[in-house]
Amino acid sequence: MTDSAAYVGGQPATLTRRRWGRIRTPRLGLRARITLAFTLSATLLSALLALTTWGLTRESIINQRESSATTQAFRNAGIVRPYLLPDVDDETLRSTLGSLESDSAARALVRDEQGLWTNQTTEFDEKAVPRDLLRMVEDGTPARMRVTVNGQPQLLVGVPLSSVGGLYFEFVSLKDTQNALESLSASLFGATFVTTLAGAALGWWASRRTLRPLADVSSAAEAIAGGRLDTRLGAIEDPDLGVLVGSFNHMVEVLEQRIDRDGRFASDVSHELRSPLMTLSASIEVLASRRDDMPDASAQAAVDLMVADVARFKQLVEDLLEISRFDAGAARLEESDIRPGELIHQSVAWSQSPEVPIEIDPELENVVIRADKRRLVRVVANLLDNARKYGGGPTRIEVRREPASLTIAVEDNGPGVPEDERDLIFDRFSRGAGSSRRAGSEGVGLGLSLVVEHVALHRGRVWVESLPDDQEGARFVVQLPIDWDAVAPEEEDHHHDLLDDHHPDDHPEEEVP
Amino acid sequence: MGTRILTVEDDERIRTAVRLALEDEGWSVAEAENGEDALAIFAQAPTDVVLIDIMLPDIDGFEVCRAIRRSSDVPIVMVTARDDTHDVVAGLEAGADDYLTKPFAPKELSARIRALLRRARAADPTSPHLRFGDLEIIPDQGVVRREGAEVHLTKTEFKLLVELASSPGKVFSRETLLDKVWGYDYFADGRLVDVHVRRLRTKVETDAANPRHVVTVRGLGYKLQP
Repeated sequence: MTDSAAYVGGQPATLTRRRWGRIRTPRLGLRARITLAFTLSATLLSALLALTTWGLTRESIINQRESSATTQAFRNAGIVRPYLLPDVDDETLRSTLGSLESDSAARALVRDEQGLWTNQTTEFDEKAVPRDLLRMVEDGTPARMRVTVNGQPQLLVGVPLSSVGGLYFEFVSLKDTQNALESLSASLFGATFVTTLAGAALGWWASRRTLRPLADVSSAAEAIAGGRLDTRLGAIEDPDLGVLVGSFNHMVEVLEQRIDRDGRFASDVSHELRSPLMTLSASIEVLASRRDDMPDASAQAAVDLMVADVARFKQLVEDLLEISRFDAGAARLEESDIRPGELIHQSVAWSQSPEVPIEIDPELENVVIRADKRRLVRVVANLLDNARKYGGGPTRIEVRREPASLTIAVEDNGPGVPEDERDLIFDRFSRGAGSSRRAGSEGVGLGLSLVVEHVALHRGRVWVESLPDDQEGARFVVQLPIDWDAVAPEEEDHHHDLLDDHHPDDHPEEEVP
Repeated sequence: MGTRILTVEDDERIRTAVRLALEDEGWSVAEAENGEDALAIFAQAPTDVVLIDIMLPDIDGFEVCRAIRRSSDVPIVMVTARDDTHDVVAGLEAGADDYLTKPFAPKELSARIRALLRRARAADPTSPHLRFGDLEIIPDQGVVRREGAEVHLTKTEFKLLVELASSPGKVFSRETLLDKVWGYDYFADGRLVDVHVRRLRTKVETDAANPRHVVTVRGLGYKLQP
């Protein structure tokens, strides 16, 4: 088997059509896009909501904290003020600051008129007061500022005590506020994340729901393509999709009618042709039997022409009828038990080809397969006739047992089939580039396309390839799938005869009443 | 008097052309354009072979065939419109010995008719009486008895039974039987054999659904149980 072999039948030969001048970039599927849109929207909305919440809450918490800290600082400054008078000793001031600190969870720092700093807790000394703030307070303006002391966020409120020429500073820890804000942001972030996931899930679900009717349409279309033309989509309540279902079903309806009409036309024409053909066929035979008595050579030649072409015409009408049965979907397998060797001998007898060397796999000698004998005989006979017409006559038939199939190859030593025509020659009345050579005087006919149909009905394939070792010629191969495990060898003992008779003949459906 | 063939066909042109072709073979041809005429003509004069188109304007070909079969075992060839199993099998079930599909070549028809005529005349007087249980075959008289009563077989059915009985227990393939009984090489199909075996069974078997004499050997063919 060569890689370049063209496969026809079995799997329908699909041609991928590409649009010209446009390179297609990989695009996401509709479902992925819907899901993505849902996810993005959910993320965007929840992030916006979270950010707004965060901004507003943060502002309000901080404002509240700052204003309460400021109020407290002013109150504490009032308490401290008397202790800054020059007659109060340091110790009293210090203990006052200490009691203030324990009451209000704040750190106090004062500077008296002489510029002497007093504080209760070591880290919260004058070095922690930024110069700008200090200057403002020195100028008599109360001010506040966020500072970091020992890595801890603090709000520093400065109150000028002008009456005693001192300054009061208070550090209020913002740790709690910061913690509160951090946990708020964490929960907002978490909420955003959860919403995003929920959005994605919703998108996935919604897209599946939305696309389910499309999946139905797709499987219906597959079924129709597979020949089940009576397939229709079930009614859908959704008014939007109902339109699609309606037009889909209408399309199939029209298509079915049209195929039916075309099929009937071919069939009707062939049926109509049969009666005159019958008359012609019988009359020409009467003439032909008197051919040698005719004195005129032209009359004899005319009779010869008519005999040949009436035969051809007859074959064509028979083929047309056969193929119109395929087109109408009316072709059915009539399986019976067949011995491969017998099949080949009958095919040779059926064809107009003389004896051909036959090579049959010895393994097939005692094997009986289930297949439609009439069709397979025509398949092989058509290949033999094809070889006779276009390949100078068949040179060899080879029947082989493959792991999961039976292959029948018909070879000739003719000009072969160019690679680009290996698909085309199986078309009906194919007119490939080399058709003038192939067509010869006998016409192209339907033989090979019938081969494809018969083989496809058996779920097999047929293709043409070159002969091995660069020999001149063509090799047509039919491959029929066979489950060898299910194939019983020919029965040698006949003890089960009576039993077999319960499911015996080739046509159980026509059992005599 | 020579061989007389009755052709039943409603298309006058076909009838004429077939008559011309058959007359070329040296046979005399009677024509009928419908079933009623056919039965009337058949009743009037002895006929050797009947050719019936199943598509007839009045009573259809199957019915004509059955009507003839009720009184005669004359060889009958059915002409079917299509090579589909339904028509072919229905024709054979109705009692036809063979069938042809339109358009057929008259040469093919003549070949079939000659084979049928050979069968009709073939009766080997040297064959011995044969007995298989309740079945008794007397080849030289063309008689078959089941449980002592004579069974009426057509020539083809009789030839088929005698062929199988010639080697009891031997399996005959459909091809062999087509060759021996119908006299065809390869171009006939196995349905001829299958339907004739079924018809034969309804006559020679006590229970045609569970045959004891003519049994199927799956994948091979048929044999007569000794």
